[in-house]
Amino acid sequence: MEVNLVVAVAVINRNNMKNVLLIFIAMWTAQLSAQQDSTLVYKKRVLETTEVDFLTSYYGQDGKNAAVTGGIGTEKLTDITAAIVVSIPMNEDDVLTVDAGFSAYTSASSSNGNPFDISGASGNDDDDDDDDDDRVGQKAIGDVIGSPWVASSGASGADVWTNVNVDYAHSSDDRNTIWNADISFANEYDYLSLGFGGGLTKLYNEKNTTLGLSSKVYLDTWRPIYPTELKAYDDVNGNQNDGFFEGVTIVDQQGNATVNWRPLNGFETIEGKGRNSYAVSFSFAQILSKNAQFSLFMDVVKQQGWLGNPMQRVYFSDVANFYIGNASSIPNYTSSVNKDVFQLADDIERLPSDRLKIPIGFRLNYFVNERISLRTYYRYYFDDWGIKSNTASLEIPIKISDKFTLYPSYRYYDQTKADYFAPYEAHSSTRKFYTSDYDLSAFTANQYGFGVSYTDIFSAAHVWKLGLKSIDLRYNNYQRNTGLNANYVGLGFTFLMD
Amino acid sequence: MKTTVFTSRLILNLIQQNMSKISIVILVLLVSLSSCVAVKEYEKVNLSDPDMVLAQKKIDRFKTAFQVYREGASGANGGKSGGGCGCN
Repeated sequence: MEVNLVVAVAVINRNNMKNVLLIFIAMWTAQLSAQQDSTLVYKKRVLETTEVDFLTSYYGQDGKNAAVTGGIGTEKLTDITAAIVVSIPMNEDDVLTVDAGFSAYTSASSSNGNPFDISGASGNDDDDDDDDDDRVGQKAIGDVIGSPWVASSGASGADVWTNVNVDYAHSSDDRNTIWNADISFANEYDYLSLGFGGGLTKLYNEKNTTLGLSSKVYLDTWRPIYPTELKAYDDVNGNQNDGFFEGVTIVDQQGNATVNWRPLNGFETIEGKGRNSYAVSFSFAQILSKNAQFSLFMDVVKQQGWLGNPMQRVYFSDVANFYIGNASSIPNYTSSVNKDVFQLADDIERLPSDRLKIPIGFRLNYFVNERISLRTYYRYYFDDWGIKSNTASLEIPIKISDKFTLYPSYRYYDQTKADYFAPYEAHSSTRKFYTSDYDLSAFTANQYGFGVSYTDIFSAAHVWKLGLKSIDLRYNNYQRNTGLNANYVGLGFTFLMD
Repeated sequence: MKTTVFTSRLILNLIQQNMSKISIVILVLLVSLSSCVAVKEYEKVNLSDPDMVLAQKKIDRFKTAFQVYREGASGANGGKSGGGCGCN
């Protein structure tokens, strides 16, 4: 039987050698093809499933150096934000991310673009924008008051910033090359922004080294809002018995009625309303050991256009002062006891139309053990407006169980003042550029934070088709040595789509 | 062309003025690199921990946003470096 089988195979082989060879080649080719297919089938996806983040925050601040009122006055502000970030795997290699959100604030400082509204003085349309529709209600002499220390009900006191950003990222088969492109749109009451950009990331050295290059362009436009008195002055060509000024008494430093107030050089609304920003970013990341890795970031940012805020007043030391309101409160003008007199602006802030900013950041993370990690960050920043800054932060994630992690943190910040900054009534009117915005002053700031995270790697809890992956809660207290104090609470939920 | 030359000179001047700080960063970088040994994929368990990510976390984005508004400096954190808002 065995002999017959061998003979039979030999006969088949002799007779069909050509066919067998063809079958063998076909099978080998099929096997190769199958191997290639299996590689494709089992290629790990960049993002396994759709990820959805719901983020929200509350921010509140108070201080005594409001830029809108020339470097003095209440800085009280509250802001509530919410955003949804949806990352969708388009295939094994590509991810589409849509990020949309809003930020709604109420600001005592911003409301004082029109400080006279606390007396209901500015009529029905008090937006103080470029339109010529600012009308005046009926006012009696002495009725019109204002104060840098009191929030007004002006239209600029509340605003909603909305934002949409769409990003598309593609990873190569070996995951060593990633490119992305994004577009963004943002809108608020006095500002419109269009942005687009792209980047390329390369991984080397068994993915131990990462190099990145990206760029971003923002083409922004102001819809400027001006201090009410300056806009009104421009509207009536300086006639202080007309428009907003009709029936309003302007007084000098001694409290005597006058019509001699005149903004610096007379006031004209701004011509160029564009603000373009061009940013190029370099990044380098390196794994140092099984427990440590660092990254280095450097941005070169060029900004051109109207780089000041048209709503922010400036008062000069060498220009006479004029007020609207209760003359007896003038001696207490810089004190928060002043509730009923407001100083008319000499001008809005003027800043160069170019700015070059170069921040260099360094991040080092160290995995101490299963419970504790260290997240450190340092940034040195300098620009051609004279600001030099140091930022250092430390966050220590502490895992207290397999689901809960605590996040104590501290951040230090300092900066030198911009060349164009001076406090209230300290600028000389002979200078070309000037601002009393304390965000551009010299200061140091300390920020203390604490947070907690809940993570469920199985995403067991469900809302509709979304499995809850994590919840993050953060609190931060921010204190600036200029007197600004802020509190921040952030809350985020991350879901995975089933 | 004139603007490009001017900008390039401006960048060079700024870098020269801040050379000491930049040198420290480069030195740290070189020292770090000289001690590097490639870590294999299967050895990256600790590095893959979510708390080890070398970027700002999503939950911190609004915190960074208010810092961008309240401070003269911005950027170099993988996020916004200027533009997109009426801030600094």
